[in-house]
Amino acid sequence: MRRKGKSRAGALAMAVSLTLGMLTGCGTQPAAEESGEVTITIWHDKEEAVTQVLENALSELEPEAHVVLEKKSDLTEALKMVGNDPKAAPDMYLFAHDKIGVYAEMGILAPITDIIPEEELTAYMDNTIEAATYKGTVYQLPLYYETLLFMYNRLYMSDEEVPATTEELYAYMQENTKGGHYGFVEQHSTPYYAAGWINGFGGYLLNDQGEPGLNRPETEEALTYHKKFADLMPGETEYATVNTLFKEGMAHATIAGPWLIPTVRESGMDVGIAPMPVIDETGTPISPYMGVQGIQVLKNAAEKKPEAVEKVLRALMSDEIGTQLAKASGCAPARESCYEQESVTGDEVVMAMKETAGNAVPMPNLPEMDVMWTVTGTLLTDVNMSGKDVAESADRAQAEALQLIENMK
Amino acid sequence: MKKQQHTDREKKKIRRETLSAYGQSLPSLLLILLIVIFPIIYTGYISLTNMNVYHWNNYELIGLENYKDALLVFDNGFLTALFVTILWTIVNMVLQLVIAYGIAMLLNTKGLRLRNVYRTLLIFPWAMPGYVSILLWKTGMYNSQFGLLNQWIQKLGGEPVRWLGSNVLAFISCTVVNLWLALPFMITIIDGALQSLDKSFYESAVLDGATWLEQTRYITIPMIKPIIAPSVLITTFTTFKQFDIIYLLTQQVGAKTGADIHTILTYAYEKAFITNNYGYSSAISILIFGMLLVFSMLTSAKSREEV
Repeated sequence: MRRKGKSRAGALAMAVSLTLGMLTGCGTQPAAEESGEVTITIWHDKEEAVTQVLENALSELEPEAHVVLEKKSDLTEALKMVGNDPKAAPDMYLFAHDKIGVYAEMGILAPITDIIPEEELTAYMDNTIEAATYKGTVYQLPLYYETLLFMYNRLYMSDEEVPATTEELYAYMQENTKGGHYGFVEQHSTPYYAAGWINGFGGYLLNDQGEPGLNRPETEEALTYHKKFADLMPGETEYATVNTLFKEGMAHATIAGPWLIPTVRESGMDVGIAPMPVIDETGTPISPYMGVQGIQVLKNAAEKKPEAVEKVLRALMSDEIGTQLAKASGCAPARESCYEQESVTGDEVVMAMKETAGNAVPMPNLPEMDVMWTVTGTLLTDVNMSGKDVAESADRAQAEALQLIENMK
Repeated sequence: MKKQQHTDREKKKIRRETLSAYGQSLPSLLLILLIVIFPIIYTGYISLTNMNVYHWNNYELIGLENYKDALLVFDNGFLTALFVTILWTIVNMVLQLVIAYGIAMLLNTKGLRLRNVYRTLLIFPWAMPGYVSILLWKTGMYNSQFGLLNQWIQKLGGEPVRWLGSNVLAFISCTVVNLWLALPFMITIIDGALQSLDKSFYESAVLDGATWLEQTRYITIPMIKPIIAPSVLITTFTTFKQFDIIYLLTQQVGAKTGADIHTILTYAYEKAFITNNYGYSSAISILIFGMLLVFSMLTSAKSREEV
């Protein structure tokens, strides 16, 4: 009997400790100690090469400011959850500019111009500052930007064969798409990639007023014209398929992000980079979206640790960081003066992005863009893959986009 | 009088036991309350507010406004999705039960060698994270350029097939993946149930001259039914509210395949959850939760009748 009582008590104790154990997980972490040096936490989702450069530069701020770079794979969702909880939120985060609208509306971001005077931002390329601006306020300190690039495999496509216009590209595709080989592949039904064609026709997914433009005549024209290219590409065109086709030498050319270049070079490919082909119909090159990577400051940090925040931002404004990032990871620096350095102008990839950036359109940074990715994806799939009528599909997608935007409010 | 005293004591004892039972399960009840019930109530609360990107910290109660908008989601597209969901549930459950039963029977064949090896192999798909399995199927099997199936077809001189490109084919392909993921559980359950059966029933059935089919129909199935019923019910629900297989195979942003099959959850996701409007999305969640609740009450009432 005693034994039974003992084991029962033991079981109860275990149950209680288990429950408590699970509950303590929900508690908040203790705040960083305020005494002495100030700790600045920066969330990011970047590769090691990039963070290494930043860490080296920011370590010079010790002992006044101690900067911690923390990698977060679900950064955007995590910020929504803890953005205004000073105990759990970071002080800054390093991410693409396209989410600043969402966080600015949520009220968790501090304007950069509260910390750095506006005139100092003129040192940056105009369209990076345009990208960093939401409703007239600058919310991001740009570091570097990226655009899609036209790449080709020199084993199949010689430098002379590189198409200068889209019709030349089409002719090349017709000639070379056979026997398991493709003249050119891209993620034709992914909005981020198709946007280059739509922008090149003067159409848009979303304008700066937050209005979708899926059934505008320019957009429809682009969709119709683009369809004949999609017909000469494989049916499946998500990221893995397209990049593998190019990497394995089964596709001669592609439009892809700079992040693909190290991988294909590693595989031994002699990869060439060329300017975007000019669309014959409009005389404008394919104009992809531009993504600007930079630092956003959270409101809490700007209020509580203004000096440390300013020190970090100023450190990140140096030309040195821009040139080092270009060298370490092929990032195109956002500061105009970096392009006076030989180490930058000598980098083929960086200079190709600089050239493409001349036509590139900053990705819309409005909260409305969140629904446009899905709706446009469906529209592109309907047109390119299911062969549905362009005008009808565009009208439907536009109505759907309007409805969803309405439902956001 | 004595009898009265006796029942009183008995009653007290029962009450004490009940109290002690509740006392002992209190920690886990609290946990369930925290993990299961609280989120539902909280979702219900959020569904009555205008919490969205534009009112993130300053949201307020707006009554049933969200439900008025949410009902608009339940349009023709939703009805089609509901039909697909029901079809999906029925097809998958029937196939799962039949195949799992067949495999479990084979595992219980007398004199089967390496039985445990087979069991381990069969449980394998279950041990792998679903997300990984689904994407492996997508690129490894179904991909029109590199997929194993198309490589075989091309070796045999055929044209590559876009397995996920059209509705019917995509539905079948999704079903195959779901079976791959769900069968291990069902096989384990049925296998366990079969092993618990008293062999003497079969001995006397054989003496009476019953065929294998008759044994299955009159002995095996009626006897394992109550044992596997709870698992079948749970699996029916997970199948009904399946999201990741269909979403990841055919609708992932940037990797849409052209197939237009929606379950109620993928439909609600595309129509509501991408808007970042938490109030509105919560209202839809609560409505779908209500539907599942009704569905579960109907099925559990029916299965109770049968058992």
